[in-house]
Amino acid sequence: MTANDFLSIVPLFILTSTAILIMFSISVKRNHKVIYAITLASLLADFVYLMVYMRGTSHSIEPLFIIDGLGVFYIGLILITSLIVAMMSYAYFEQREERKEEYYILLILGTLGASTLVISKHFVSLFLGLEILSVALYSMIAYQRKRERSDEAGIKYLILAAFSSAFLLFGMALVYLVTGTMAFEGIARHLTANDGLSFMLFAGLGLMIVGVGFKLSLVPFHMWAADVYEGAPVPVTAFIATVSKGGVVGLLIRFFVTLNGHQYPTLVLIFTVIAITSMFTGNILALRQNNVKRLLAYSSIAHMGYLLVAFIAGNALGTEAVTFYLVSYFITTLGAFGILAMLSDTEHDAEATEDYRGLFWRRPWAAATFTAMLLSLAGIPLTAGFVGKFYVIAAGVNMQEWLLVVMLAVNSVIGLYYYIRIIAIMFEQQTKAETSNTRLNPAIYIVSSVTLAILTVSLIWLGVFPSGLMGIIKSLL
Amino acid sequence: MELTFYIASGIAIVATIMVITRYNLIHALLYLVVSFLAVALVFFVLGAPFVAALEVIVYAGAIVVLIIFVIMMLNLKEEAVEEERHWLTRDVFIGPAILSVLLLAELVYIIIQGDTGQIATKAIDAKAVGISLYGPYVIGVELSGILLMAGIVGAYHLGRQKKKVVHRFLEHAEE
Repeated sequence: MTANDFLSIVPLFILTSTAILIMFSISVKRNHKVIYAITLASLLADFVYLMVYMRGTSHSIEPLFIIDGLGVFYIGLILITSLIVAMMSYAYFEQREERKEEYYILLILGTLGASTLVISKHFVSLFLGLEILSVALYSMIAYQRKRERSDEAGIKYLILAAFSSAFLLFGMALVYLVTGTMAFEGIARHLTANDGLSFMLFAGLGLMIVGVGFKLSLVPFHMWAADVYEGAPVPVTAFIATVSKGGVVGLLIRFFVTLNGHQYPTLVLIFTVIAITSMFTGNILALRQNNVKRLLAYSSIAHMGYLLVAFIAGNALGTEAVTFYLVSYFITTLGAFGILAMLSDTEHDAEATEDYRGLFWRRPWAAATFTAMLLSLAGIPLTAGFVGKFYVIAAGVNMQEWLLVVMLAVNSVIGLYYYIRIIAIMFEQQTKAETSNTRLNPAIYIVSSVTLAILTVSLIWLGVFPSGLMGIIKSLL
Repeated sequence: MELTFYIASGIAIVATIMVITRYNLIHALLYLVVSFLAVALVFFVLGAPFVAALEVIVYAGAIVVLIIFVIMMLNLKEEAVEEERHWLTRDVFIGPAILSVLLLAELVYIIIQGDTGQIATKAIDAKAVGISLYGPYVIGVELSGILLMAGIVGAYHLGRQKKKVVHRFLEHAEE
C-alpha cells in the first residue's frame, strides 16, 4: 500500500479504529455517555475529513477499491445518516437496555460495511462489505432481547440474509466462470468483447440481483421487511431503512454503470418488472396497516420501487435523480423513525396508529414534524420528497419510460391515502383518557429534539431550494 | 481424471442431502463431515491443495468438534447416556463410512496417478495463496478480521443474557 492508497481510505480506518477504541473503552469501564461521545465525535470527524480533504479525490486501490466522486458522496451520506441514528439511539437505549455499549460498536461496523460497499469495484470487497453490514445487523436487530419479537426478527433476518448471500455468491461464481475475472471493469471488458450476455452470464447476474434485491427489500424478496422493521429497536430500524439500503444502492449504481447494463434489454426488463411489482405490493399492503412501523416498512418497499424508475432510466440524469431521491428519502425516514423513538415509552414502541390519536393536541411539535415527514413520503410540494419524486419522473420521461412513469404516478396516489390517514388520526380529538407516560430526564430529549428540528428544516429547505444539493451532486458524480 | 471430480462432487451432494434429512443430530453430523471431506477433495482435484487442507482442518476438524461439544453440553441427563449408546450403532455409521471409503479410494488413486489431472491448469500452493492474500488483497484480509469482530461482539451480547424465548405463535400456549 502506498501513502496515497492509505490517505484515500482514511475514512474506513477512522471507523475501524473507532470500533476498536470503543471495545477497549468498554473493557476499562462501561459508561454509556463516554461511548456515545466517542461514537458521535468520530463519525463527525470522519465526515469533516471527507468533506475537507477528499472532495474531488479520484483514486483507485487495485484491485479492490475505487474512491471517486460517487463513492465520496455516498460515504458522506452514510456517515451523516449513522451520526443521526447514533444521536437518536442514546435516549432510546438509555431507557431500555442494561448493556447498551456494544450497540455502538455494531453501529460503527455496520457503517463501515456500507461504506466499503459503495467504493468497491471487485466481488471480494463487495461481498466482504455486504457481510460486515449483515453480521452487524443480525445482532443489532435482536439487540434488546427482552423485547418480544426481537428474536423472531433477528432469526428471520439471519436466515434470509444468509440465504440471499448464498444466491449472491453463486451468481458471482457463475459470472467468474464465464468472464474469468471478479473486477467490475474486467467483466465490462468481457461483455464488450463478446458482444452480449451468454446464458450462463445472464443466470449469474440474475442470481446476484436476488442478493441485492433482498437487501433493498424489493418485491419478490421483501418478505422480511415488515417483521424485521417491527421487531427491531427503532434506531436500528432507521439504520436498516437508510444506511443498509443506501450502501447497496451506491454499489448497484457503480456495478450497473461500469457494466453498461442499460444496453441489455433483458436486464432492464427484469428491473422494470421488479420496480412495478415493488411499487404496487408496497403500497397495497400498506393500505390496511394499523401498525406504523409495518406501514413504514411497506412504504419503504414502494419507495425503493420509485427509486428503481430513475435507476432504470440510466445515464447521468438517472444517477443524479437516484442520489437526490435517496437523500430526501433518508431525511424523511430518519425523521419519521426519530419521532417514533421519541414517542415510545419503555414498555413498547409507539407503533399502533391508536398511539397517535390526538397527538396534535397533546404534543403539537412532534405531530407537526411527523406530518411534515409523512407529507414528504407522500411527495407533497414544498418537501424534499416532492422534489425527489419530480426528479425521478423527469429522469423517466427523459428516457421515455412511459409505463414506469405512469405506474409511479398511480402509486403516488395510492400512497397518499395511508399517509393522509395517519395525519387525520393525529388531528382527531382524543377519546380515551390520557395515560401519563413516565418521562425521563428532559435533558435526554434535547438531543433528539434538536436532531429532529434539523431534519425538518433540511426537509423543507430541500423542498424549497433544491438547487444547492443538485449542484453538489452534479459536481461530484 | 474428470471422473474423480464428478465422483467427489456426487458424494458431496449425497452427503449433504443426508445431512438435512436426518432427524438425529449426531447422524447428521457424521454426514456433514463426509460432505466437508468430499468438498475438500473437489478442491484438491481442481488444483487447490492448500484450500483442501484448510477445508479438512477448519471445517471437518475444528467446527464439527465444536458442534459436538455443544451437543454434549446440552445432553447432561441420565437418559442421555443411554441414548448416546445408540448413536454409534452399525446402522448409523455404515452410510458415512461407505462414502468416506469411496473418497479415500479416490484420493489414493489420484496420489498413485501422481498428477492432479486436466481439470486443473496448475496447482496453487500455499505460498501463492499467501502472496495473494497479503499482497493485493491485504485490505480484504483486514476486512475479514473486522467481520469476525462484528460477529464476536454480537454473539457476546446476544449470548450472555437469559431470556424467555417467545415466538409470537407460542405466546398464548405458554400463558
